[in-house]
Amino acid sequence: MGGKGRGWTLRLVGLLTPITVWLGLFFLVPLLLILAYSFGKSGVYGGITLGFNPGNYLKVFDPLYLEIIIRTFVIAALTTLICFALGYPLAYFITFKGRRWRNALILLVMVPFWTSLLIRAYSWVVILSGNGIANKTLQFLGITDAPVTLIFTSQAVLMGMVYSYLPFMILPLYASLEKFDTRLKEAAKDLGASRWETFWRVTFPLSMPGVIAGSILVFIPSAGEFVIPQLLGGSRTVMTGSLIQSQFGSARDWAFGSALSIMLAALLLAAILFYVRRVGADKLEGV
Amino acid sequence: MQERKTTEHSPTASGAGPDTGREVAVELTGVTKRFGEFVAVEDLSLDIYEGEFFSLLGPSGCGKTTTLRMIAGFDEPTEGNISVAGEQVRGVPPYRRPVNTVFQSYAIFPHLNVFDNVAFGLRRAGVQKDEIRQRVTDACEMVQLAGFEKRRPNMLSGGQQQRVALARALVNRPKVLLLDEPLGALDLKLRKELQLELRTLQHEVGITFVYVTHDQEEALTMSDRIAVMDSGVVRQVADPATLYEFPHDRFVAGFIGQTNMFSGRVEAVEGDRVTLRTSDGEKIEAKGQEAIEANSEAHVAVRPEKIRFGGDGDNVLSVTIEQVVYLGVSTQYIAVRPDGEKIVLYQQNSHDTAGPAEGERVSVAWDAANCLVLGG
Ligand SMILES: Nc1ncnc2c1ncn2[C@@H]1O[C@H](COP(=O)(O)OP(=O)(O)O)[C@@H](O)[C@H]1O
Ligand SMILES: [Mg+2]
Repeated sequence: MGGKGRGWTLRLVGLLTPITVWLGLFFLVPLLLILAYSFGKSGVYGGITLGFNPGNYLKVFDPLYLEIIIRTFVIAALTTLICFALGYPLAYFITFKGRRWRNALILLVMVPFWTSLLIRAYSWVVILSGNGIANKTLQFLGITDAPVTLIFTSQAVLMGMVYSYLPFMILPLYASLEKFDTRLKEAAKDLGASRWETFWRVTFPLSMPGVIAGSILVFIPSAGEFVIPQLLGGSRTVMTGSLIQSQFGSARDWAFGSALSIMLAALLLAAILFYVRRVGADKLEGV
Repeated sequence: MQERKTTEHSPTASGAGPDTGREVAVELTGVTKRFGEFVAVEDLSLDIYEGEFFSLLGPSGCGKTTTLRMIAGFDEPTEGNISVAGEQVRGVPPYRRPVNTVFQSYAIFPHLNVFDNVAFGLRRAGVQKDEIRQRVTDACEMVQLAGFEKRRPNMLSGGQQQRVALARALVNRPKVLLLDEPLGALDLKLRKELQLELRTLQHEVGITFVYVTHDQEEALTMSDRIAVMDSGVVRQVADPATLYEFPHDRFVAGFIGQTNMFSGRVEAVEGDRVTLRTSDGEKIEAKGQEAIEANSEAHVAVRPEKIRFGGDGDNVLSVTIEQVVYLGVSTQYIAVRPDGEKIVLYQQNSHDTAGPAEGERVSVAWDAANCLVLGG
C-alpha cells in the first residue's frame, strides 16, 4: 500500500495488458458479435441484417430443437459420468500402485493426443461401420450372422465421446491424487477407519478438486462436440454442436445459429454453476 | 534380554521403575525388522507397563519410528512378537488395534475442521452423536483448544496443529498412545512448555504413552523409563536417574548428558573396585558394574559435576584450565591433561570463592564410586 504501490500497479498493468488485448480481440468481440447476430435476421442466401428479433430464441424452444438440446445434455452428462467411473480407478491405480511406472503410464494416457481428433473419429467409423472390423470379428466368431447396426446410434456417439474425453478426466484426477499425502491414510487407519472408510472419508474428499476440474473439462467440450456426433451419430443422433454448425453452413441461418450458441453457452454456465454449488465450491480451494 | 535384566537389577533411584504388580501394556519379544538386507530393528525385547510414560530415545535413523509403526500396525515385524494389552497383534490391522498415534507430521485432515478431525475416530467407532459432541469438547478443552472447533487446520499454528493431533488421538481413550517426535517441529520455548503439559496430561488421563524422541533432555524430563536405542538395538532400559547415574555402556554414557571418558588396561579387580592404568601411566580407581577380567581393556566415565577442584579423592589429576564458561547457576571448566586429553567439569556458583582462572594449573579429584566402568 505504501511507496511501492505505484511500481506494483505499473507492473500489474504490464503483465495483464497482453492477455486483456488478446481476450478482448479474440473472445469478447466475437462473443458480442454472436450476441448481436442472435437478434438479427438472416438473409435467404446467407448474410445477416442486425436488429431485434427475439424470434430466433423462441425457435430454440421448438420441440424438434428442444429434443436435440436435451439429448446433448444427456449425452454430455453420461459421457462425464462414464469418464469419471472409468477414469477415477485408473488415476487412483496409476498414482498409488504405479510406482516407477507412474510417469510412463500417465504418458500413455496422453498418447491419443498425438493424432488429431478427426483421424481418431474416422478410425471409429472404420471399426464400427456395416462391414467394418467390429462386424467382421463378430461374424467370424459366429456371434452374429449378418452385420449389426453399430454405427449411427447414440451408443456409438457415447463411446466415441468417452474415448475422446477420458484423458481430460484422468489428468486432473491424477494431478490432485498425486498431491495426496499418504500419511493421511495411515492417520485414518490409526483412528479406526477401514480401507473403504479411509477412501470415502479422506482420499476421495481430498481429490474433489480433481473430480470437479475433470468433470468440467469433459462436460463442456462434450456438450459442444460436433465432429463425433456427425461421424458416429449420423442424422439420427444430432447434437446441438452439429445443429449450430449446420446453421452456419448448409442451412445459412446465422441468426438462429447464433441464438443456439448463446443458449448453449448460457445453459452450460448454469449447469456448471449448479454443479459447483452442489459439490461444494469450498472444496475447490487448494487443499 | 540382557538389557532388560540390567534394568531390573539397577537401583531404582526415583522409584518410578517397574513394580512387579503392574500390568504390561505393550510387550515386544525378540522383534526384528528388516527392509531387504537392512536391519532397522534387531532382536528388540521390551515390557512397557500400563500407565507408564515410556520413551524410545536414540539418534536419528536408529529405528524408533519403525518400532512405533510395528506397534501401531503399519509395519509387521520380520521376526518376533508384539502384544498390546495382553493380546498378540500380528496380522491385526491398525484400525483394530487399541492404539492411537500422534504422527511426527501431525497428519491432520486438511478438509475437516478441528471438531471433525477430533471426532474422526469416534465416528468410525459408531459413538452416539451427543457423546461425540461431549467428548470432542472435553478433548479440545484438555489440550487448550476450546473455541477452535470450527477452525480449518490451515488456519492453525504449528503448536495448535500439534494439539489437534493430540486431542484427535486421546479422545478415543486408547490403551496405548504412540507419539513420534510430536514436538520436533516446534521452537524451543513452545517445546519446553508442551513437554510439561504433555507430562501433566499423561498423569491426568493415565494412558500409557510410548514417546519417541532423539532429544535426551526431553526424554529425561518427561519419562518414567527410557529405552536408549542405537542402530536398531536397545542399549539400556532404565528410569532417567539410573540412566544418568549408571549408564551401562559407552554409547549410553555419551548420549545422555555430558561425560568424561578414559580408557586403559585393568590392573586389579577387588569386589566392585577396579583399578585402571591409562596409556600415559595415570592410575584410575573406578566402580565396576559387572564382572571384568584383569588385564583387559576397559573404559570408565565420570560426569562433569562429580569432579571437583583439590587433591582430595580416589582419583587426582593435575590439569591446566583452558577455558572458563560462566553459566549462571554453575561454571563450566574445560581442562587439559598433560597428554592433551580434555576434561569437562562443572562447579556450582553457590559459594563466594572464585574458581581457578584460565591458564592456571590445578588438581582435580573424584571418587571411585562416581567413576563407572562401561561395557561396549
Ligand atoms: N520402508 C523402509 N524401507 C527401507 N528402509 C527403511 C524403511 N523405513 C525405515 N527405513 C530405514 O530404517 C532405519 C530406521 O528408520 P526409522 O525407524 O525411521 O528411524 P528413526 O525414527 O529412529 O529416526 C533408517 O535407516 C531408515 O532409512
Ligand atoms: Mg523417526
